[in-house]
Amino acid sequence: MGEAVDTWFVREVLAHEQALTRFLHRNWRDHDEVADLRQEIYVRVYEAALRRPPDSPKSFLFATARNLLADRVRRQRIVSITAVGDLEQLHVLENELEPSRWLGGREALARLARALDQLPDRCREVVWLRRVMDLPQKEIASRLGISEKTVEKHIAKGSRMLADRFHGGPDTQAAPAASAGAVAWTRKST
Amino acid sequence: MDAQIDMTARHRQIERSAASWLARRDAGGWADRQQSALDAWLAEDTAHRVAFLRLEAAWNEAARLKTLAAGAGHGQVPARGAWADSPYFASPLGSPRAVAGHTRTARASRGRRRHRPLLAGAAAALLVVAALAGGLLWRNSNHVERAAWSTLLGAQQVVHLADGSTATLGSDTELRMAFSRHERALELTRGEAYFDVAHDTSRPFVVNAGGYHVIAVGTRFDVRRDTDGLRVVVTRGLVRLQSARDPAPAATMLPSGSIALVDGGNVVVRHIPLDRAMEYLSWRDGYVVFHGTPLAQAIDEFNRYNARKIVLADPSLDGLRVGGNFRLDNSTAFVRLMQQVFPVRVEQRTDGIVLSRRGNPNTAH
Repeated sequence: MGEAVDTWFVREVLAHEQALTRFLHRNWRDHDEVADLRQEIYVRVYEAALRRPPDSPKSFLFATARNLLADRVRRQRIVSITAVGDLEQLHVLENELEPSRWLGGREALARLARALDQLPDRCREVVWLRRVMDLPQKEIASRLGISEKTVEKHIAKGSRMLADRFHGGPDTQAAPAASAGAVAWTRKST
Repeated sequence: MDAQIDMTARHRQIERSAASWLARRDAGGWADRQQSALDAWLAEDTAHRVAFLRLEAAWNEAARLKTLAAGAGHGQVPARGAWADSPYFASPLGSPRAVAGHTRTARASRGRRRHRPLLAGAAAALLVVAALAGGLLWRNSNHVERAAWSTLLGAQQVVHLADGSTATLGSDTELRMAFSRHERALELTRGEAYFDVAHDTSRPFVVNAGGYHVIAVGTRFDVRRDTDGLRVVVTRGLVRLQSARDPAPAATMLPSGSIALVDGGNVVVRHIPLDRAMEYLSWRDGYVVFHGTPLAQAIDEFNRYNARKIVLADPSLDGLRVGGNFRLDNSTAFVRLMQQVFPVRVEQRTDGIVLSRRGNPNTAH
């Protein structure tokens, strides 16, 4: 274990969070479970990398995602037409398999600005003063007339929201819902 | 194995703990003893570690926001969206898809209406670049900027227009542009295109297609030509649909979440939830979404994208309804699935894929 894997994980795996999240939204019916699935996938990928970093992190990430979804479907024992079909090749779009790339500076900045603007007022103010103005938490507390504990809470909340927006990107909610595999049904036409 | 609800709760709990650690460390006065405690927590479970790494990475990246603070008063927190027109950004903040070149930068710089002292210096610098890039060319009074693009069957192309708008062309599509000082005119001669329109009230954005004008100011919409009709899907803003031949009838206004179908001079408008409207645009990602869609219609979607056409030999099969997500370029997978769940027989011929009814028609389940 160690820092090498941490760095690898941030650069080669987290960089694909947006694509991964879209993939999960598309292929998993219950969107409330997406964050949980994603975490489980990250755990599997990280632990595999401790043993041996995969040659192609992105393909490995998506292969892990597919396996996890397949496991979950099997476990749920849905004996219906719902899970029929292409479980073996859950639809992965080509653009999700592009070679990995860390965001260009400009796009990263745009995402961050967007993420910042979505924070609640006080939280946004605290994050700005801390992260941009480099004021210590203590000084922020006295300046805003709130307790240091409250500043810390805003930082904690802000870090979570920033992470969702930054890694996940802005578009994750737009991906249409889908079931695992494909659904097909008939309507009595005669 | 935990129940699903517990799993989700556990994930949230871990993320909260990771955030508290991050915030506490950030508070300063961090001693070795505390670092050891954090190390122990991280070592306890890989789920802890990945959650922490994820938050930490975003938090570290957030330091980039300093770029935006140049010139801002100490301790002044800029208003939300203060950087919306910042020349630092290649694309509008609301539009993750758009990737732009210099022309967009030109527009963004010129479009600064509210005062933004913090960005003035950088804006001025970039304006020079923008001018060199030809972004100002189309402001000349009589100049009309023309261009045309087309895609092959199954292909797709994102086009950056001179005003900062983008057009995403679908399979087998042709789009022509004629931008003047007064109007941003486009003609969709065939196929389908999705438009993300840069806001400019002084110059309407007009897509001419199949005898209709689809007119927008700053919005997002999709226009598609079929053999005998036209379809417009609006996902943001407001679009005006107007007959080109007969301007007398009142124009149809299409707000976000509308689908207008034009067929032989008749316009039918449906209003649907936005997420449902977005599904009509999934072709941009290379797939298609069906909900109880008649089989013949589903097949048409695939045939738009594939040279090897699927043919429905037995019209009675059209009573079958299809749902799900499918790769547009993989009609084989689609057909295979149809064969598995429907009483359908598939015949692969050199000139196409023929679907006919298999066995007893009552065995559908």
